[in-house]
Amino acid sequence: MSTSQATPATAAANGNPPVAPAKPTQLSKDGPSSNVGTFGVKSGLAQMLKGGVIMDVTNAEQARIAEEAGACAVMALERVPADIRAQGGVARMSDPKMIKEIVEAVTIPVMAKVRIGHFVEAQILQAIGVDYIDESEVLTPADEQHHINKHTFKVPFVCGAKNLGEALRRISEGAAFIRTKGEAGTGNVVEAVRHQRAVMSDIRRATAMNDEELYAFAKDLQAPFHLLKEVARLKRLPVVSFAAGGLATPADAALMMQLGCDGVFVGSGIFTSGDPAKRARAIVQAVTHYNNPKILAEISEDLGPAMVGLTIEPDMKGGLLAGRGS
Amino acid sequence: MATKDDVTIGILAMQGAFAEHQVILQKLSIKRKVVTTLVRTMDDLERCDALIIPGGESTTIALLARLAGLLEPLRAFVRKKPVWGTCAGAILLSSSVEGAKKGGQELLGGISVTTARNGWGSQVESFEAALNVDGLRDSLKPFTGVFIRAPVILSISPTALEPPVQVIARLSTELLPKNQTLIPADEDNTDPRDTRCVVALRQGHHLLTTFHPELTRDDRFHEYFVRECVLPSLI
Repeated sequence: MSTSQATPATAAANGNPPVAPAKPTQLSKDGPSSNVGTFGVKSGLAQMLKGGVIMDVTNAEQARIAEEAGACAVMALERVPADIRAQGGVARMSDPKMIKEIVEAVTIPVMAKVRIGHFVEAQILQAIGVDYIDESEVLTPADEQHHINKHTFKVPFVCGAKNLGEALRRISEGAAFIRTKGEAGTGNVVEAVRHQRAVMSDIRRATAMNDEELYAFAKDLQAPFHLLKEVARLKRLPVVSFAAGGLATPADAALMMQLGCDGVFVGSGIFTSGDPAKRARAIVQAVTHYNNPKILAEISEDLGPAMVGLTIEPDMKGGLLAGRGS
Repeated sequence: MATKDDVTIGILAMQGAFAEHQVILQKLSIKRKVVTTLVRTMDDLERCDALIIPGGESTTIALLARLAGLLEPLRAFVRKKPVWGTCAGAILLSSSVEGAKKGGQELLGGISVTTARNGWGSQVESFEAALNVDGLRDSLKPFTGVFIRAPVILSISPTALEPPVQVIARLSTELLPKNQTLIPADEDNTDPRDTRCVVALRQGHHLLTTFHPELTRDDRFHEYFVRECVLPSLI
């Protein structure tokens, strides 16, 4: 492998043995050393979540149901996106007490959301020991111009993206994990599909380009050239990428996997459905067996009512969330 | 298509970092041709001469294995053929585990150790450390151990009838977890024989690492598994 380790985001996922450690580890003369919070361990945890389902939960009991159903992580938040949408008002970081109760209740990683640009909410979540932070458009943005400088944190961040340029901007700010934005709280997968197809299409275009074309394409995308070049080499994003925003059924999850996602987030889709435990387990199985329609048919049977879906239109209740932060 | 002389190594592909193992195995240059297969069904498992259980979430992997009807076949496989567990895989190969989810956790067993989940605590305690490993190619060159919410080995206790356990890599005592209520702190963290320092070991044809060789660009652990565990089992 001839490439340098210049960028931490050369840590990869599928298809390439990943992780140029952010700092080289060596046995120093002064004794043993270790590096905490390197980009390698941040993106590495996302790699451990691949092929899995991350579920929104609002209390310890739901977190236990999610763990029993096979969730590979839970997202702790006070209101699921469907309720944020219905109730309106400013949506903020959840109460640390509630997050800590969820951390206590399960053995799997616990994530929590902060408002876009709200680095103090992120400092608080790092202090209470969450495993991952989602700098999320589902909460009301705290800064309309800047995202958090995520390099300065030991805790890793996941961020949403609608297209390749946005994904690479988030990675250059230090995100170790990318997800589609979709349109949260709608139970409608159409926007997640749009975003994933946009990312994959731009990756395929970049793959066929020479350096001159990549410089021009980087300018169009408003993305750093070195990250775009890495995308072209790897033929994928240089970090793990999940689907999120509007997934409600096992078929939705398998669709996003077949479109090239490494795993899925399910927000409102589980605990606003008729039988959360059964639906959660079915979605977990769908992500493992996404390419096997026979198994998908079996696990899709008799799941009870799915969450009520919404048609996505500009004046819908709660508005369009995906446009927040770009 | 695999021929008679090829070695087929499966990677359990329920959930987690299975693709990373596959990429490294496919690039290995050794005298026997290695064929890799992702294992999701009984048919997949039956083709394998050896198996890797990757990192991921051990509760998720165990549940999916049970739902796929693979739990008992995997236990039978572990009794006969070489298996390597990394991180979550190491937990699943343990004979018992502490710090498991409420209601306990299903294991495969196969290696006579007791492990504790999330031994160092949450993700902010995850770290990289240089390791000296016995028996690796270029063994003077340290191997970068990537420890992500890693388990800790609490005890190693093979019975007289089981193969002996051979420790091949240890962490310095100074890197042991601090302030972890789960793990007894009755010692002063200076005894180098402390099993909590052990991060890689072998028992018979099995290999266990609490860290992630598949997250590096260094293929020496994969080469070691094939050379020391898999090939000798085929004779």
